[in-house]
Parts: sequence; C-alpha cells; structure tokens
Amino acid sequence: MNNTLEIKHLEKNFGKKKILTDISFTVTKGHIVGLVGANGAGKTTIMKAILGLVGFSNGTITINGESVSLNKHQALSKVGALIENPGIYPYLTGWDHLRLFAEKNITKSMMTELVSALKMDKYIHQKAKGYSLGMKQKLGIALAFLNNPDFVILDEPMNGLDPQATFDLRQLITTKANEGTTFLISSHILGELEKLAKDLVIIDRGQIIKQTTTYELLSTGEKYFVLQTSDDDRAQQLLLDHNFNLKEDISILVPNIDNNSLANALKVLINNNIDVLDVQHKDNDLEVSLLELLQHGEEGVK
Amino acid sequence: MSTLIKQEIFKLARKRSTWLSTIILVVLQVVLALIVNKYPDVLSIESIYMDGFLGLELIFFFMVAACSSIITMEFQYNTAKELFYRKYSRGQILISKWITLFLYSVYWFILTYVVTFGLKLIFFPHFDLTKNVGHGTTLVISQLQYVGSQFLSYWLILTLVLLLANLFKSSAVATSVGLIGYFLINIVSGLMVLLIEKWDWIKWNPLTMLMYPAQVQENTTKAITHLTINELFTGNVIYIVIFLGIGYVIYRKRTV
Repeated sequence: MNNTLEIKHLEKNFGKKKILTDISFTVTKGHIVGLVGANGAGKTTIMKAILGLVGFSNGTITINGESVSLNKHQALSKVGALIENPGIYPYLTGWDHLRLFAEKNITKSMMTELVSALKMDKYIHQKAKGYSLGMKQKLGIALAFLNNPDFVILDEPMNGLDPQATFDLRQLITTKANEGTTFLISSHILGELEKLAKDLVIIDRGQIIKQTTTYELLSTGEKYFVLQTSDDDRAQQLLLDHNFNLKEDISILVPNIDNNSLANALKVLINNNIDVLDVQHKDNDLEVSLLELLQHGEEGVK
Repeated sequence: MSTLIKQEIFKLARKRSTWLSTIILVVLQVVLALIVNKYPDVLSIESIYMDGFLGLELIFFFMVAACSSIITMEFQYNTAKELFYRKYSRGQILISKWITLFLYSVYWFILTYVVTFGLKLIFFPHFDLTKNVGHGTTLVISQLQYVGSQFLSYWLILTLVLLLANLFKSSAVATSVGLIGYFLINIVSGLMVLLIEKWDWIKWNPLTMLMYPAQVQENTTKAITHLTINELFTGNVIYIVIFLGIGYVIYRKRTV
C-alpha cells in the first residue's frame, strides 16, 4: 500500500455553515506533506477529522487502508500528533508526560534520546507548570514522536520555537522521514515548510485548490534575472526602449520569459557600452507562489 | 483498557492533593479519636466509630472533588486531544475513568476503616465490636451494612457529579451539585414526607434513594421513604446505571 492517508470527499458543517467542502487528497508513504492555507481555511479541522477528534458529515478517511471516525480509532495506533496548543498537565513533569503516554515497547533510553534530540534535558524533570510556551511546544512535539509512529500530524509545530529549536525540529523531521515516517504538517511559516515538504495540499475556505509538489509550485511562479550594471538608470531605459518587460526594483529585473531573454538583454547593454557587473537568477519563494495562487482563487470566486 | 486505567491512576497519584487529602483524613480521625477518648460523655464512641471517626463524611468531599475534576481537567488543561486521538475510543477512556474512580473510592473506604480500627485498638481497646445492637445484629455486622449502603449511596451522587461534569465541562457546577445533594437530603426529608404522603410515586425520586443508609441503620425511616431496603438498593443501582449511561452517550459524541 503506497498511501498512508486517503481522504475522499470529506465534508463538514457547523450548523448551516460549510466548513469543509469535498476534500480529497492522499499522503504517500514516507513523504512530508505540507497543508497550507490562510487562517480559518480549514487546516486544523482537516487534521482533527483525520485524528477522530471531530466528526464529519460526509466522506471517508482511511489510514493505511483502515477507516477513521469519531468512535473508530484503531487505525490511529501508529499515529502521533500535535494539534493546536500542546495539552500539558501542569502538575506533571515533562518526563512524567513521556512516561504517561509511552507504550510498553518504549524504553527509558529511547525517551532519553528523544529528549536530547529536542534539547529538553535541562528541564525535563521540572513540573510543566513552569514551562515557557516554547518548552511546552517541544514537549508536545516529543509526545507526538514518543511511540515511534509511522505517521505524524503536526499543526503549526514551529509555534513558539526559537531558531535553534526550529532547526532541531527540522532535523528530527528529516531524520524520521528518511527512516520512512510519513508527515502531514501545517505551518504558516512557509519558508520552513518549503525546506521540509515534498508535497503540498493548498486549501482555501474549506476547499482544496491545489494538490501539487513544492517543486512544481515554485517552478510555476515567476523566474527572472537581476542585473547590476555600471549605469543602472541608463540600462533600465535602454531595456524599456527595446520592449523588455521589467519588474520594479532599483536593480534591473529581466523576466525570464524565454531562454533567450538574458542573452538579448546582455546584447543590448553591451552594444551600448554598459558593463554588466552581476547577474542573479531569482525564483518566487513558496510564500509568493502561494499568495499568487490564493489570489487567483479569490479572483475566480469573484 | 488496563493501559488507560494505569494512566488515570498515574495522574491521580501524581497530584499533590491526593496525598494531602490522605494526610488530612488520618490527622482528623486521630484528633477526633483523642477528643472522644478525653470526653467520652460528650461524644458517643459507638456513633463516631460507625462513621469512621468522621472519615466517612470527609471522604465524600474528596471523592466529589475527584469525580468533578477527572473529566473537566482534560478540557481545562487541553489534554483531551492527547487522550482522544490515540487508538482508544472515547467510551474506553470514560470507562477507564469510572474504574479509576471506583478504585479510588475503595481506597478511601478501606483507608478510613483501617485507620478507624487501628484507633479503636489504641484508644478504645474495651469497646466491644461483637456487642448486640438490636435485631440480633452485632455492631460489626451493623457497621458493614451501614458502610456498604453508604458506599452505594455515595456512588449515586458521584455518578450525578460525573454526569454534570461531563455535560457542562465545569468542575464548579458538578461539585456544587454534589455537595448540595449531600446536604439537601437532610433539609428536604421533612418536605419529602409530605410529598410522598400526597403522591406515592414521588418515592421513586433519587433523593429518596439517598435515604438508603439511614434506613439500613434505622428501619423507621421506611415511614418516610415508603420503600423497602431492597427497593432502595435496586433504586440506587438503577439511578447509577442511568446517570452513567447518559454520561457515556454524551462523552462518545464529545468533540475537541
């Protein structure tokens, strides 16, 4: 079986309000999939439905071929998750939390290894009521990874983490993914998601607007060259005179519309005795590509 | 299921209040034993012994607190998600909480009467547990019947507390109703006599069932309840099953 998760025609209503409409997507085994969309788009609701935390009006959710619903959880036996804020008992220590939820096959050394991977050694034996937001978040992440799950669902896992902790988490996710763990991650820090996720599911107002790969989404965005010359003002004017469609910047941005655009621009500049000092190849990042996609979706709706 | 029960016991055992309440219970029992020992004319050892040196009253409050918080704390601390997303169903989670609370109540009853018996041996060695207390019953048998009926009656209130905690996700509401229910029975018994005299079917209400221990101890209570001991026993069990059943249905649909 190649798909860890399969969602078909998932629908959810709160009263008369439609929260999710015909959501269908798959998560391939061993892949890191990013679930992206604006606040309130329905990311957390989808994740909660997958975890049997909320019911749904229509559709099916299967994990490794076994269906999941509000009262059918057997398929979740090898799933780890962190949804919204981590649930923490203030009177327990971090270590107590790990002991509480550890399955029989989880040894003390495995727990210690996890604690070290997330750099929680210093405070793991302190009561959780004294933990900062970031410390609680790390404990929530540790709980998600605790029982060596095959499939991990993380909702905004970088919330409250400092740059070092974000890096550590990225390392942990990458290591686990290389070992075969499947991930579904939502994050509003798209730069982080771009570094991790191979596949993307983009949702807007409770509907999937695209299921694609990160590579594909980035390559559909604008590509262009940034030129630096000995006389930028004159170079800009010359290129405009030769019908180049420039982007706004103090540098000269030549849209990479065809293979010859750079060569043609350079010819114009050299023929007019302008020295080209630097040429940089630029792509849209995930954030820009996504915003463009969402904007198109909005225009489509209008 | 055993994993879930172990988890619940682990959480309970890690709470400071669990151990603090144990100390409070034992200390108060010892203090009361000392007072009774010093002023035997003011307080009768027989009635105080029956109530486990007031331990029986005290443990009710501890159990109400535990019942009201065992469900609501999961929502208060946002830990319900941690429990619900795992492989266990909501029904299994709720039943594990019931079983834990049942074991917890057994712990309190055993502790209360072990300490009570210890205090009797230390301070009242001549107090005869085998003496006849009427109707051919010895004091020790009478005590067992009373404690057993009190246990069942407590559970009637506790299941209502559990139901309300589940329904309102609020410890405050559940605790208040538990405590009010406990005190209400003494206040409304007079009113109940009038009501039951007028409409006989009212005798089947849950408040009448709470008079079960009183009737076990003193059969004249039958004049108020219009029910036999067996009917009171069955009534308590039926109400417990109803309250747990409603709670189960609600909990199974609980979303987070």
